[in-house]
Amino acid sequence: MKKIMKIALFEFMEKIKTRAFLVFMILFPLIVIAISIVPTMLVDTKEEITHPVGVLDLTGRYLGGIARQLNEYKLADGQPNYIVINLSSSGKTPGEMKSFADKLVLDGSIDGYLMVEPRQSDSVSVSYRNRNLGGFNDLPRFEKIFNNVYSSVRLLRHGFNPVEIQRLISNVPLKPVKIEQPSGSKETSFETMYFSSIIFLMLLFMMILFSGGLLIRSVVEEKSNRIIEILLSSCTPDELLTGKILGLGMLGLFQIFVWAVIALALLGGNYIPLEIFDGIGLSMLYFVLGYLFYTAIFVGVGSVVTTEQEAQHFTGYLSIVLILPLVISLKVIQTPDILLVKILSLIPFTSPPIMLLRIKVMTPPVWEIILSTLILILSIYLTIMITSKIFRIGILSYGKRPTLKELVAWIKEK
Amino acid sequence: MLKVQNLTKEFNNVVAVNNISFEIHPGKIFGLLGPNGAGKTTTIRMILNIIKPTQGSIEFNGKKTQRGFENLIGYLPEERGLYKKSKVIDVLRYFGELKGLSKQEALKEATAWLRRLDIESYLARRIEELSKGNQQKIQFITAVIHDPEILILDEPFSGFDPINQQLVKEILLEMVQKEKLILLSTHQMEVAENLCSSILLMNNGLEVLSGSLSEIKRNFGSNLYRIEFEGDSSALYAISLAEVIHENGNSAEIKLKDGVQPHEFLRCAVDKLKVSHFSEVEPTLNKIFLQSVKTKGSQPEARTER
Repeated sequence: MKKIMKIALFEFMEKIKTRAFLVFMILFPLIVIAISIVPTMLVDTKEEITHPVGVLDLTGRYLGGIARQLNEYKLADGQPNYIVINLSSSGKTPGEMKSFADKLVLDGSIDGYLMVEPRQSDSVSVSYRNRNLGGFNDLPRFEKIFNNVYSSVRLLRHGFNPVEIQRLISNVPLKPVKIEQPSGSKETSFETMYFSSIIFLMLLFMMILFSGGLLIRSVVEEKSNRIIEILLSSCTPDELLTGKILGLGMLGLFQIFVWAVIALALLGGNYIPLEIFDGIGLSMLYFVLGYLFYTAIFVGVGSVVTTEQEAQHFTGYLSIVLILPLVISLKVIQTPDILLVKILSLIPFTSPPIMLLRIKVMTPPVWEIILSTLILILSIYLTIMITSKIFRIGILSYGKRPTLKELVAWIKEK
Repeated sequence: MLKVQNLTKEFNNVVAVNNISFEIHPGKIFGLLGPNGAGKTTTIRMILNIIKPTQGSIEFNGKKTQRGFENLIGYLPEERGLYKKSKVIDVLRYFGELKGLSKQEALKEATAWLRRLDIESYLARRIEELSKGNQQKIQFITAVIHDPEILILDEPFSGFDPINQQLVKEILLEMVQKEKLILLSTHQMEVAENLCSSILLMNNGLEVLSGSLSEIKRNFGSNLYRIEFEGDSSALYAISLAEVIHENGNSAEIKLKDGVQPHEFLRCAVDKLKVSHFSEVEPTLNKIFLQSVKTKGSQPEARTER
């Protein structure tokens, strides 16, 4: 036990002093923050310039209403957000007007234009024609504006007065609320929920790959310069293996600690949502178990591979397995209780990341948590058992990589 | 006393070490000799408990080796390697602690050894910044830092310049004085000849020769003698008791025929020549080795070292 701690401590201290680790530890959260916050910040920033927007109203009924409502949007400095340009002119066919308007869009004179076309009976079709389909803010606004104007024009024709119409068509915004306890509630948006659940996934993913890489590299190094012989003449392979896994576990906890400090600091500045700390206890459980599981696998592989190149290949394969939960993360968040997700929650390779996602969206049933945790713990135990057998022989065989058959023989060997 | 009995190791039906037995006594240097691939390293690894023997036993002071035995052994592997990016003192402390020293003891011993080997100033340097010779010294310290009862050295002199070889030799002799058990594995026969009191010669996993060095030499009894003289050398050829191996004017090497005692030959020689020198030519270990390997224990079989 004493030797295990010495090994763990040495591994921890030596890794923590490497430049790669320091860079990773500080740089990585910045990258995560950048890719998750910057888009929202960009979308949320107030527009700073006035946009020329055309209206081509082929029915002639809605132009006035649209223009009035568009003019109500102001920029931060009080200037109008949109300049409305009437594109309809008498004496031209609709086709001519359209091609003229299109030309204005293409040469950049206007951002785009709203086109209202009459259809059978009373109905109309409306489109916003522009060069790029962007405009996170613009499209919902235009849609809302047109529908307001459309309704009020028709109500007006039915004899309602403008004040009544104003009241009739007033909008009520929809507020998403997540329920955790009966009658307790918390307002949240899909974006913050998605971000706060995916951030743990990314942290786990990066930590496994990074520390796993460190681990493999150190085992390969010890093998190639035969330090392993001195180590094994001082301790048992099991002590070495356990020490390495523990040392890396300590490294992981240290990383989390540093990142938590960074997160708390940023919380003060309102850069990241408080939702990150929802279900933190359960998240940590899966985080640590997932980390241990993958670390054990990495040690086993490290003892078998003989060059760094081989190690990198393997890391590549594992990252494919690891990236799967990221790929289906949106699905998991939207439908956390479909069968596929339930199955993936039990497989040790995917259960930590999937559960990390599910915990954020909707606390999974207790039996699922217990079952998946048990399976995970059992898998960790089995992995370490198998790994230690492979490790015991693998670290001493140099040169050629063992075949699958040899590996099985190693595992069977007492 | 370390007693190795009937040690055998098979890898995938290849017998790397075949029924090897020997004893190492306190205050003596035991030489495990043989060409590359003879099974020396495998034997050492079994003593170190890095690999399990297929058969045979290893006893220390009458007891089977068990947990804690590893703390009594110091090991200098043939292929050297250290954590290149780590600091000298950290590595020494780590290996010292792994051998059961406390942190303070490890630091104290490390500093003392660095001073002894005259590289104290590198204490806080990274290993990779040191010259190859100095890295070898660090490696040597890792083997002796915990003052082991048993010292196992695999080709200890390779990589050292003559001055440092002398230094290592001095330390070894000091260990001998302190009644330590020393196993020296080498394929350099001259080194073994100088230091070892008993040896075991291996080839292809098999024992070729074993015993105390002087006994082996005596038993090998080449019956070679060197004679220096004045007079007509053709008189030598006339003595029927021996065969002249080679001769150059006033000295010659002769081989006595079976059953002939040296003094019988000498008597005849003195009658005909003025003899100024007559002595037995001791066979070198190298010669013994080459001859023994030729006659027995050689199997023309490709081997791989694991």
